[in-house]
Amino acid sequence: MGEFIGFRNYMNLLQDPDFVRAVLNTIYLLVLSGPLTIGGGLVLAVLLNSQLLRLKGLFRTIFYLPMAVSLVVSALAFTMLLNKPFGLVNDLIIRQIFHQEPIDFLTNPTLAIPTLTLLIIWRYIGNDLVIMLAGLQSIPTDLYEASRIDGASPFQTFIHITLPLMVPFILFDAILTTVNTFNLFAEPYILFGTEGGANQAGLTTGLLVFRVSFKYFKFGYGAAMAYLLGVVIFALSLLQLRVGQKD
Amino acid sequence: MRYQMLISKLIIHIIVGAGALFMLLPLYWMVVSAFKPLPEIMTVPVTFIPVNATLENFRGLLTETFFARSMLNSTVIALANVVLQVFFCSLAGFAFAKYRFPGREVLFTLVLGTVMIPQYVTLIPNYIVMGRIGWLDTWAPLIIPGIANAFGIFWMRQYIATVPDELLDAARIDGAGEFGTYWRIVVPIIKPGLVTLALFIFSTSWNEFLLPLVYLRSKELYTVQLTMANIFRVQYKFNYHWAMASAILATLPMGILFATLQKQFISGLTLGGLKG
Repeated sequence: MGEFIGFRNYMNLLQDPDFVRAVLNTIYLLVLSGPLTIGGGLVLAVLLNSQLLRLKGLFRTIFYLPMAVSLVVSALAFTMLLNKPFGLVNDLIIRQIFHQEPIDFLTNPTLAIPTLTLLIIWRYIGNDLVIMLAGLQSIPTDLYEASRIDGASPFQTFIHITLPLMVPFILFDAILTTVNTFNLFAEPYILFGTEGGANQAGLTTGLLVFRVSFKYFKFGYGAAMAYLLGVVIFALSLLQLRVGQKD
Repeated sequence: MRYQMLISKLIIHIIVGAGALFMLLPLYWMVVSAFKPLPEIMTVPVTFIPVNATLENFRGLLTETFFARSMLNSTVIALANVVLQVFFCSLAGFAFAKYRFPGREVLFTLVLGTVMIPQYVTLIPNYIVMGRIGWLDTWAPLIIPGIANAFGIFWMRQYIATVPDELLDAARIDGAGEFGTYWRIVVPIIKPGLVTLALFIFSTSWNEFLLPLVYLRSKELYTVQLTMANIFRVQYKFNYHWAMASAILATLPMGILFATLQKQFISGLTLGGLKG
């Protein structure tokens, strides 16, 4: 049994450059991927609901497809796709079609979080789509009818009718996305390894808790980290429950 | 007006089509790479369609690595999870939905509360407990703690609440015991809910990565996800060919389940997610 050290682990956390780094990286990831997955999911849901679109069922299945793929598989697929120089994106699209220099998606520190964002959009936009499609179904059709008779353009209808009525769903999705981002582990682990890649540019909070606890076996310190993050996630989940109960 | 309509139609199809292309590209590249020999995978310019298409990657994967064994391991673990969780969650859900007992509300709130505790927080204490019991490097931590799956209990309670009380009373009057009532009356009625839950549990267990990574040491106990991550990177050598072949084989069972039960799965996700 170790000695009781009070709050020392928690105090040390705030001065730990790795911890600060991981939190900042995760927030950066959230700021980048959140609006893209939530906004993208909403726009996609509206388009998939549009009368003008053919082959709806096929498109919907395609967007749900990555959800059937495990996190490890999706990370492996992306390392293959974005590889330098022999990934499909680098060789075919960037070199052969656009005649540019290959991009170092996987090892360039500045690109670590943007690359992770691409993967997250791909893997999780189906989730956002499910939520947004459910939300759109809750909007009464006569509202659209009325706005059409009043001569509103599709864009005006989206801004003045769809968007305000979708706010609870957008909020719900935002909180879910935040929780998921702070929990993220398998994707950065496969893409960047336990160290989070060069300069720890891909180090996220999930990766750091794992590294501290199960690579260095500093359980006390790892647990302190997990609890601090856990409190944040727990508070956000409570908020999510509130939002969910409103409708 | 017609002209304008046509333009919007075109724009919508271009946007959605581009999105769909982005969704399919990684999967397409994964599948074709699995059929290329390693030298062809690592060649520039890349071949969009395999030139020397081969099944050698699959043969190598199944004979030279632990992959086949891991597939079996994952299947056993996932099935154990499904059977135990579906059974105990529906029993607990039955109790919470249909019995009045002191402390019911408090207990149910406690169960629900555990849904909101992130995996992070329980990971280290659980690991220490499992170590004390002597369960490290066994499958027990991947199966036993999850039996009282809070989401499953919640989901089952919601479902069983819709079963009319009159049916249960009729069964009791006919002399069925409490377990008989559950087994003969409740279970047949909630079958669709059980299927959705079973699918959800199977996919969660099959795709789980963090827990096996933390608990398993011996290669012959590894799950599919763990083996995949392991054979991809061996020291500084990247086995792209095996990784892509394993990715296909590991996705196949989920893909088949998902395709056959897609509607139920999606509605299950929506309902569960929104009521979370």
